[in-house]
Amino acid sequence: MEIQITDQEKAVVVAFAGDVDLESSPEARQALLACVDRKVPVLVDLSGVSYIDSSGVASLVEAFQAARKGGRAFALVAVSEATLRVLQLARLDKVFTIYETVEDGLDQAV
Amino acid sequence: MPVSGHLELLADLGQAFASSLDVERTLQEAVARITRYLDAAGGALFLLDETGSTLTCVACSGDTQITGMSIGAESGIVGRCVRNNAGEIVRDVDCDPGFDRSVDKQTGYRTRSILCAPLSVKEQRVGAIELINKRDGDGLFEVSDLSLLQVLCAPAALAILNARMALALVEQERIKRELELAAEIQRGLLPPSQAPPFPIHGRNVPARTVSGDFFDFFALPDGRICFNLGDVSGKGMNAALLMVKAAGLYRCLGKTIYAPGALLGLINAEVCETATRGMFVTMVGGIYDPAADTVVIANAGHEPPLHHDRNGGFTPLPAEAPPLGIGVGLTPDEGYPETELHLAGGTLYLFSDGVTEGYARDGRPLAIEGLMQVLRENAELPLPARLDAVVARLDHGPGALRDDVTILGVDGGQG
Repeated sequence: MEIQITDQEKAVVVAFAGDVDLESSPEARQALLACVDRKVPVLVDLSGVSYIDSSGVASLVEAFQAARKGGRAFALVAVSEATLRVLQLARLDKVFTIYETVEDGLDQAV
Repeated sequence: MPVSGHLELLADLGQAFASSLDVERTLQEAVARITRYLDAAGGALFLLDETGSTLTCVACSGDTQITGMSIGAESGIVGRCVRNNAGEIVRDVDCDPGFDRSVDKQTGYRTRSILCAPLSVKEQRVGAIELINKRDGDGLFEVSDLSLLQVLCAPAALAILNARMALALVEQERIKRELELAAEIQRGLLPPSQAPPFPIHGRNVPARTVSGDFFDFFALPDGRICFNLGDVSGKGMNAALLMVKAAGLYRCLGKTIYAPGALLGLINAEVCETATRGMFVTMVGGIYDPAADTVVIANAGHEPPLHHDRNGGFTPLPAEAPPLGIGVGLTPDEGYPETELHLAGGTLYLFSDGVTEGYARDGRPLAIEGLMQVLRENAELPLPARLDAVVARLDHGPGALRDDVTILGVDGGQG
């Protein structure tokens, strides 16, 4: 799994690529929580994720819950098909705010 | 000093370390012997802590008693010796800017010269042995003293590392035993198999010692049967602990609340109150009525159960609400949507994603199509044998399971 964190003007974009699984999800979790801690809107770019397991989804859920508690925006953007299928199957597409592109996320979530 | 004396000491120390069960005591005796043999006024053995930030004296001998004293890993000549992984002779500490006077200040002792050798195995730094103030002659340590100290440090470093490894092994063994006990308790939470014609059977094979999946079924006083199957996010002990909570809540509440949707709503509220680290539970809860051959199920974010009808067709029943423990998507009092299904002599299968994402023998995921194929091929077998056929397709050798495999079937047409 690769993580890239990009600071935009009013938000931070965390991009994951590869497999987000039991082995890599602790690192994903740490990166997500650190971004949420920065008290700016967080957009999670999942376009490069080829596989995500339930521990990876739990990392997203935890960061989402932390952002919600702090009253800050948190959204998933450019979600890959493999990830979207997992989220839809679990009806988590009803829970997360999802935007089709990073630009949409920056326009609407921020 | 004759070489034969050196060899005798080296042999003695090697023997003591090899046969010792109490490495601390052996180190203490070794430091005392080395200090005496090299005719130093004092000697101390320092060990690096796990983080590599502190050096602590664990054994000492002679004029200064500093056992238990800690200094920064960068401090003084001993710190430099460990950092460079190289022995040193400092004939006059007053001329060495690296000398740390704080220990002398604390003890009131006057250090003049130092001989120090690192304790290390290859590049792994363990600590150092430091000797101070040579007693006889000109009071200065010789190069031959350093060579000897370095030779003596080797078996000591090995003994320390061995003792640490032995401790780690004991700890590992203890954790393994505790995990096996936890697994035994967990297996005891699964319902006992019922003899035919009981219509519900299940299988659970953990990928690790303990499982994050579960299933359960129990008869209600009115003749209906309550059942469920769930999967906790992640694997291992944390998933197993949340599994026990969710399964326990279902079994307890399921005996008084005969509506799966309301039941999942209550468990959701309870799990949300204490869930940590974003962990969640996907679960299908249901009630089978043998008299009417109908099931009512509610699905909290779980893999869609499959209805295998009498004509061989499969119908998935997708979730309509998110998993338990997310805290969004339902109000606290809201129940999960329910679906009613007439089994019409077919079978309803509930399973975890360990079944569909598990690898078949050909190295590819079984996937939903593979599962349907196994069920179709074995449709004539009794339910327990059908479930075993699914498990066998995934659990085809040691280490074959990448996730817990759990499957439960409700055979219709019994009433």
